[in-house]
Amino acid sequence: MAKQSCPVNTTIVFLEEAISTGRFKIPKTRRIASEVMELMKDLAWGRGGEEHVPALESRAAELCASASDQDAKKAAEKVRTNIDEYREVFVSHAETHNCASGDCIKLAPAPCQMTCPAGIDVPTYITLIGMGRDAEAIEVIRRDNPFPWICGLVCTRPCEFMCVRARIDTPVSIKFLKAFAAERAMSEGKYVNPPKEADKGKNICVVGAGPGGLSCAYYLALKGYGVRVIESLPTAGGMTLVGIPRYRLPREVIDREVTMLEELGVDFHFNTRFGSDVSMADLKSEGFAAFFFAIGAHKAYQLNLPGEKEFPVTDAIDLLKRVALGDHHRPGKKVVVIGGGNVAIDAARSCLRLGCEEVTLAYRRTRNEMPADEEEVEHAEEEGVHFSFLTVPTEVLGTEGKIRGLRCLRAELVKREGSDRMSPVPVEGSDYIMDVDVVIAAIGQQVDTSCMADLSDLKWTRRNTIDVNMVSMESSEPGIFAAGDAVTGPATVIEAIGGGKRAAEAIHRWLSGIPQPKMPPVPVRRSRIESLEVPATTKMILRRPEMGFLNIDRRRTTFQQAELGYTENEIREEARRCLRCDICRRCGECVEVCRDKMKIDALQLGYLDFDHPVETDFRRTEDRCITCGACAHNCPNGAMKMEDRDGERILSLCGTVLNRQKLLHCESCGAIMGPRRYVEYIRKRIDPVGLRIDQRMICDTCLRKKTAGSSAETVRP
Amino acid sequence: MSFRRGQKVEIFRKSEDESWADYMNEYIGLHGIITDPDTSINDPEDLVEVSLEGKGTHRLPQDCMRPLD
Repeated sequence: MAKQSCPVNTTIVFLEEAISTGRFKIPKTRRIASEVMELMKDLAWGRGGEEHVPALESRAAELCASASDQDAKKAAEKVRTNIDEYREVFVSHAETHNCASGDCIKLAPAPCQMTCPAGIDVPTYITLIGMGRDAEAIEVIRRDNPFPWICGLVCTRPCEFMCVRARIDTPVSIKFLKAFAAERAMSEGKYVNPPKEADKGKNICVVGAGPGGLSCAYYLALKGYGVRVIESLPTAGGMTLVGIPRYRLPREVIDREVTMLEELGVDFHFNTRFGSDVSMADLKSEGFAAFFFAIGAHKAYQLNLPGEKEFPVTDAIDLLKRVALGDHHRPGKKVVVIGGGNVAIDAARSCLRLGCEEVTLAYRRTRNEMPADEEEVEHAEEEGVHFSFLTVPTEVLGTEGKIRGLRCLRAELVKREGSDRMSPVPVEGSDYIMDVDVVIAAIGQQVDTSCMADLSDLKWTRRNTIDVNMVSMESSEPGIFAAGDAVTGPATVIEAIGGGKRAAEAIHRWLSGIPQPKMPPVPVRRSRIESLEVPATTKMILRRPEMGFLNIDRRRTTFQQAELGYTENEIREEARRCLRCDICRRCGECVEVCRDKMKIDALQLGYLDFDHPVETDFRRTEDRCITCGACAHNCPNGAMKMEDRDGERILSLCGTVLNRQKLLHCESCGAIMGPRRYVEYIRKRIDPVGLRIDQRMICDTCLRKKTAGSSAETVRP
Repeated sequence: MSFRRGQKVEIFRKSEDESWADYMNEYIGLHGIITDPDTSINDPEDLVEVSLEGKGTHRLPQDCMRPLD
């Protein structure tokens, strides 16, 4: 498998070999090479600071100068070239204590963090929540995502999808732990902003108050820029406000997190539409130094069916927006929503709550192909939404300007030539009329470009999205940056937040004259916090809690939040299920040494194998482990630990106590001999150094002394 | 080629798509997991979200990937 290797690690390996094979013959050159090595090891172990890279460069130059023969010169040049060529990576190791390739093993982020589009340090905040330190957890989250409460309720949670715990049973409920911590911290008044940097004397205009725009505004404000956000809606939130119904995300949650931005001095101008209420020329004349566009993708695709123009087909986004802004009128009695995404599900569930008698969701493929979140589909079914799969609408029927039905065809999925994609093909003669009086189209959205006519030099992609450099989020017009759905097309809240954060950093670099990075940033570990201590049995039997829901009648009739959340006890227990993959890199060294070298095979850690996970049972270790410590000794990242504490020898893996054995002491001198199982294991394999005396537990040193003593007595005349 | 969530993929070549940027050449040869195959309309032209080994999560065109399983 092709793998990108870390230049820091590669250089260390190269230099180590050069030193050990005697390529640096002169003592002075050897000393400098060792110093270079020490500095690089600091970087690889997360001990580097900002002075490390310049020091490394000057030492590498000295190394080149001091090398006497060709071989030494070649080796020294190679080291210097590596540092020059990959300077950015060396600096990143020093500044972020992060090694994305995972080669510098202490610095690699966990899979959950790598998968998060905003790169949140999940294991750290989960552990903090497990410790009850909710406000600190929120502080960690907000370094990468300013909206932990919103995301805690509506994120599509790619982190949970990659959670290693799922290889044992079910993923850790990362999303809701975040929501709990945010709610608790907010309720206790401990949800606070970090300190702002000094005022930079420059103002930036953000167009759009959705998750992307707000995220960018937050990080720019923290950097000391003046930020104005202009928004066409009467309040902030963008798609989270008008695209996600209140039963999933209460408006108060958005309001409270937006208030945190106001506290930082972000200036909001609502009911202000870019392109009509305010133009680019107006804003430029006000002296904004840069612009950030996060205008979202709010324009619905048309169905392109006969009858669509004659009769009032509603678009789902428009319906959700009206409902979010307070219009709770029932659209009709019998509703069909056309589409299979999350917006279609949200529109269908909203219609039920508005009092529609019958709500059907028509989708042209089957349940397996639906892009909507599986959980949301289940909730819709529970609430009474009917699903009509393999249904292709062909005509909107009506009279006197009112919809009277929807003509549909049954479809079947067939494989088309040259494609492995199953396509719906209408079945001849299968047409029928669905008895409905409201048709809602939810087949996707695109960017509404009409407001951007002012920006004639702005380049657009063929997908009708703003064309930006995905590393710097910079558009074709200097000083204009963009992110969110306007760049990616309709995507997720967390992607928009990640894009906004990236854009804020890029705007800061652009204004400060710092070159933009060549590659998109990789997630940064925020700390290496101690693991929570959990007995093996508890780790195995803890189960992801069931989410409590509002009763079904209230779910069908009101917009009250449907998920009731977990209890505090459930939250703290759930956090203890985390395997701390930021520390255990799942290399399997421990299992191999225990099974192959020690021939004990006490570690049943099937989850370590990504491709073929087999059974995991942390409890098995206690039955077989002799606490020899070989696993801990060979663990490259300090995940497996063995320590003597309170008269016991304890073996733990990232806090999970795998074995706990009582320590034996020498009955003669009182020295620790290890647990009985360990002593017996050793004594079975090697001859005792001396005689055993009355089966007493005597350490080898005392046995030697006693044996020597008795021999001396024997030979003495 | 259509992808499903959780599918293991390899970035095996440069994409012909306009969204392919130079820095993405470094991703060729990397393996990843599809985290969001398609956000809304099952469009084979859509950019899909993939979590790449050691490189974070990105949206990439579908023609540069091939499934591994």
